[in-house]
Amino acid sequence: MSEWQRKSPLEWQTYVNKEVKVTAAEKHEYKGWVLTVDPVSANVVLVKFMENGKVCVSVILGHAVQKVEIVNEGDDEMKEQLAHLFMPEESKVYGH
Amino acid sequence: PISISTMGCGNEADLEREQQARVALREQYLRSLIAMVGHTIHFTMYERVNVSAFFDASDIDILNFQVSDLQTPLGVHREALLRCSDIISYTFEL
Repeated sequence: MSEWQRKSPLEWQTYVNKEVKVTAAEKHEYKGWVLTVDPVSANVVLVKFMENGKVCVSVILGHAVQKVEIVNEGDDEMKEQLAHLFMPEESKVYGH
Repeated sequence: PISISTMGCGNEADLEREQQARVALREQYLRSLIAMVGHTIHFTMYERVNVSAFFDASDIDILNFQVSDLQTPLGVHREALLRCSDIISYTFEL
């Protein structure tokens, strides 16, 4: 098991809502905002907001993650955007 | 098994905090899986293999993905199971 997979949920949570650069197996690199880290598989969910209004989601599998570097700490606005991305409509209304 | 790792000798409050973090992280991940259903997903596999398919379902441990219309260099498979251990990453647009 890799160092990334051995982290605790509290450690993974410190990456949430931050912009990171992930180095993965076979020299693949990914950059985006961390939406979550699955505590079962250690998969990292990265989100990128595109200029055309679309949202690009990339998930790097936990076993393939070699390094995760934080490049931007983010702000409350980004946190809000990420929190609402996959939430059903009712929860959005309920949350305010 | 890796899902139940804990900080070991932590006290009850620490375990509670860890459990809350686990729940929040897992919920968002499961929601991201729901959002994938019916979308075209691009998979980057080991050995520079790239395939795409429609996502249907995953098992609870995230060991396999069930997909349909899997586009491979050897043709299209109507239904297929991808082993997650063969996948480096997957990408989709919303």
